[in-house]
Amino acid sequence: MVLEALEREGVELIFGYPGGANLPIYQHLPDHPKLRHILVRHEQGAAHMADGYARACGKPGVVFATSGPGALNLVTGLATAYMDSVPMIAITGQVASTQVGRDAFQETDVIGATSSVTKHSYLVTNINQLPRVIHEAFHIATTGRPGPVLIDICKDVQQADAPNVPPERLEIPGYKLNGHVNLDHAKAAAIALAEAERPVVLAGHGVLLSHAEVELREFAEKAAAPVGTTLLGIGAFPVNHPLSLHMTGFMGTGWNLKAVQNADVLMMVGMRVDDRVTAKLAGFAPNVKTFIHIDIDGSEMGKNVRPQIELVADAKQALKAMIPHLPQPEKSRGTWLAQIDAWREEHPLKYTHSNGHLQPQDVLIDMYKRCRNEAIVVADVGQNQIWAALWWNYDRPGLFLNSGGSGTMGFALPAAIGAKFARPELDVWCVAGEGGFVMTAQELSVAVEHQLDVKIVLLNNFSLGMVRQFQDDFYGGVRSQVDLTHMPDFVKLAEAYGLPALRVDKFADIGPAMDAAERTKGPFLIDFRIDPEANVYPIVPLGKTLNDFWEAPDQ
Amino acid sequence: MSEDRLRVLSVVVEDGPGALSKVSGLIRRRGFHVRAISVGPSREPGLFRMTLTVDSGHAEVDQVRKQLERLVEVVEVEDLTGHDVHSRELVVARVAAADLSDLIERGAKVLHSSPTGTTVEFAGDGGEVGDFVEDLRRHGVQDVVRSGPVVMRRTA
Ligand SMILES: Cc1ncc(C[n+]2csc(CCOP(=O)(O)OP(=O)(O)O)c2C)c(N)n1
Repeated sequence: MVLEALEREGVELIFGYPGGANLPIYQHLPDHPKLRHILVRHEQGAAHMADGYARACGKPGVVFATSGPGALNLVTGLATAYMDSVPMIAITGQVASTQVGRDAFQETDVIGATSSVTKHSYLVTNINQLPRVIHEAFHIATTGRPGPVLIDICKDVQQADAPNVPPERLEIPGYKLNGHVNLDHAKAAAIALAEAERPVVLAGHGVLLSHAEVELREFAEKAAAPVGTTLLGIGAFPVNHPLSLHMTGFMGTGWNLKAVQNADVLMMVGMRVDDRVTAKLAGFAPNVKTFIHIDIDGSEMGKNVRPQIELVADAKQALKAMIPHLPQPEKSRGTWLAQIDAWREEHPLKYTHSNGHLQPQDVLIDMYKRCRNEAIVVADVGQNQIWAALWWNYDRPGLFLNSGGSGTMGFALPAAIGAKFARPELDVWCVAGEGGFVMTAQELSVAVEHQLDVKIVLLNNFSLGMVRQFQDDFYGGVRSQVDLTHMPDFVKLAEAYGLPALRVDKFADIGPAMDAAERTKGPFLIDFRIDPEANVYPIVPLGKTLNDFWEAPDQ
Repeated sequence: MSEDRLRVLSVVVEDGPGALSKVSGLIRRRGFHVRAISVGPSREPGLFRMTLTVDSGHAEVDQVRKQLERLVEVVEVEDLTGHDVHSRELVVARVAAADLSDLIERGAKVLHSSPTGTTVEFAGDGGEVGDFVEDLRRHGVQDVVRSGPVVMRRTA
């Protein structure tokens, strides 16, 4: 019954793990050869795989888990998807409906435990609800601002039978979709931006989710307005474009932050404007007279920054509506763009190439050369994530995946596996620190079992690098519980799992190791032993404004 | 608590086992605080109406309505703060005094009386009910229960 409903929704792939409370579903799985099931090694891995799958191909990722510990192991993965608006369907087994509330074996209030990290959730206690619920769940997960939806199905319901027809028409009275663009506001926004002296556009994940990259580019070029992206918005605008400001936020590029802090009109598209973007809120974009905010979720309007012009709409529709109303840009625009070019010269991304240690940037620059604008790169969390974001060099959208909103260590490997399942034709690179990598390393078995071409670039700095950097710079230099000297031998670990691996600690060995990775079919791991003191720059000290960013020291 | 952080909302929710916990969970995790609540069936079968008085905490005040609207269980939210409304609360009290003529003059109704005391009810807006409860002290109040307000716009 569940499985038929999933087939009807077009599901092809499920990441899951069986247990007592979902065995009735698993019993029937072999009867559905169109549903391919990937057995993970930990439910968190399943959630991140489904997430990576969804981010890579846009279809909702589907996860199965059993009740109690199985479902709870999904929580981090659900939260990760929820924070980043990723469509996902989690189907969890629950104890029989007559057992609910009796503290039955492996009973947990899964709805209670997940309602803060899901877009919506259902407890199904009656078979007659099931066809409608599954149909609704896919609709809610994939429309509007996407997000994970959880369906907790009692075991007796999994065993029951009923006519398997969903209602013809979806009627969800409390679910209203935005997307209707207010034309007056669109026009006002276009005029405000074009007539600004110092306009800046920032693009977030919403631009990618609505596939509005073409419109964004057309808009920016016509308005002669520079465009930066958030960490999750990377790819929404070509980084090599003359109008590109690259990444914004408290680890954004110097020229981006200068532009934001000096802008007089700031348009924010498909983004939440969280604290990682604004740094100290009171000092964020202090010269802006008109904030324009476009987002499909009305609750984002004024949540952090109060816009003068708001468009509660899909980014693509909003930009399309605005473009025809763009007047000729202000004459002074040349001066503003020249100023930005000067800032770009003054505050370039830089690092110390030769201090005797292998530098993470050297590794990433080599990797990105091989990506040729068309590989998927999945980053984990920490320094590795920001380096991977800053040295990204694509002109094409949608190929950089990471856990932005929730910053979930352990995301990269399973998400890369999910992405490879979604887009088998593309190369997939997984960039991770050794700390995050070991949090979900058990999923290497999945990569080996399915011989997935996932190339793992481990940036191994023998510590929880990002935390170590914060301690050094913002917490009195006290290095507390960040040492990771005692870690497995990653080459041997890979061998134990059944994949080839190499260790690299010299610049000269980067290329040959990467060649080997590219030549090898199936997964490959390279343990890059990088400079243990390498830091992320620029960075805004905690509690400071975007004006106060630190740059890489000159050597 | 500052008055200007208080929002009075009339919220129509689906009648389901999860609706109240989803609403209250949202209020807690967004840093809001419920000051008063009353719930009852609405005119439409399958839908319930909640009248909530919510302190928006450190959030922008309009976030209370906007966040509630995001819940799929929530069908409609009307922010009645500052509008011209009928706002009615109910209080039921048991008092020791035998002479209740002044309370009855104010509009209280006797529900039950016995040699040990009298049970009265009174309805009014928040101020009136507050004054009434104050007054009860002089009558040897034994127990008081008070509802949250139910609120309706004066004009549609
Ligand atoms: C699950 C989880 N726990 C803790 C953190 C806090 N945290 C953020 S970055 C970081 C260090 C990551 O170290 P590593 O994976 O080695 O990557 P690096 O920063 O060295 O590149 C930590 C502990 C987190 N983001 N996620």
